[in-house]
Amino acid sequence: MEAEIQRLLTEDGRVAEQGITVQRREHTLVLGGEVESTQRRDEICRRITSRFPDVEIACDIGIVRAQAPSDVEEIS
Amino acid sequence: MIRIAAVGDVHVDKDVLGRYRPALEQLPEVADVLLVAGDLTRHGTVAEAECFATEFGGLAVPVVLVLGNHDHQSDQQDEVAGVLTQAGMTVLEGSSVVLTLNGHRLGVAGAKGFGGGFAGACASAFGEREMKNFVGMTEAIADKLGAALRSTDSDALVALTHYSPVPETLAGEPLEIYPFLGSYLLARAIDSAPTALALHGHAHHGTERGRTPGGVPVRNVAHPVIKQAYNVYQLLSDEVDADLVAA
Repeated sequence: MEAEIQRLLTEDGRVAEQGITVQRREHTLVLGGEVESTQRRDEICRRITSRFPDVEIACDIGIVRAQAPSDVEEIS
Repeated sequence: MIRIAAVGDVHVDKDVLGRYRPALEQLPEVADVLLVAGDLTRHGTVAEAECFATEFGGLAVPVVLVLGNHDHQSDQQDEVAGVLTQAGMTVLEGSSVVLTLNGHRLGVAGAKGFGGGFAGACASAFGEREMKNFVGMTEAIADKLGAALRSTDSDALVALTHYSPVPETLAGEPLEIYPFLGSYLLARAIDSAPTALALHGHAHHGTERGRTPGGVPVRNVAHPVIKQAYNVYQLLSDEVDADLVAA
C-alpha cells in the first residue's frame, strides 16, 4: 500500500509530490513531509482518504516557511 | 565580496503566488544575485512557468537558474525556458554566464544533471539499451557541465545543478533512491575546474552541507531543506579584506 500511495502522489497530476513520506503505525498511515501550500496538503490528504476509505490516515504534512534569511554563510 | 542567494524546488503554481515575494523584495539588501536550482514548477507547464516568472521576475538582482525534473514533466521544457528567458532570467543547461557584481566577475555554469548514483554504488552503461541510455544521459550532461565550468573565466566560479553531485547532501533520504537523486559524474565535472561552490536541489529530505571529493563546498538548497525563501552565501571575502588592508 505504501508503494501505491507513493506512486499516486507522484503521478497524479493534481498532486505531483515526490517528497511525501508514508509510515505505517499500528492501524494508522502517517503522511509526512512538507509542501508549498495548504491547498496542496489538503488535496493530498483528500486523495489518499478517498483512495483508501477504510484506512485511518494521519496527515502530518507541513507547509515550508518562506521568510527571508537572517544570516549569511561565508564560503572559504 | 559577492553574496549569492540560492534556493531550489519552489514548485510554483498559482497557489504559491505571493508566498515568496516579500522575501524576494528584500534581496537587494542581502544578495547580489539569485540562483535557483531547478524544480521551479510542479508539472513543467507554460502556465506554471508564467507563475514562476511573476513570483521571481522583475527583481533588482539578476536571476540565474537551471530546470529540474518537474520542469520536464510536460515535455514543454523548451517553452518553459522561453517564458523564463522572456522574463529576463538566465536559463543554463550545459552553459555558463559571467556576471560583474561589485567589481568581481561571478561565473555560473549550470545543468540539470541526472541520476546514476555514487562511488561504490553507481549504475553502469551495461546491459539493456534503457540502462545504457540512463547512464549515457548523465555522462553527456556531466561532460557539458564540466566543459562549461572549465571554459568560464571569472573571479569566482559556481556550479548550479538540480541533481546532487555528492551523497553527503542526500543524508536523510532513503538510501534506495540515491541513484535517482544524483551522480558522482557531476562531482567529477565540478572538480575539473576551479569551482568555489556547488549548489543543487532535488533532495527534499536531504542535508544542506557536503563537499566533493576534490574539496568543493556543496550546498543542497532545496526549499524543504533550507526552510526559508533562500539562503545567502558569501564568496571572495578574502579579496575584500585585502583591499581594505591595502587602503
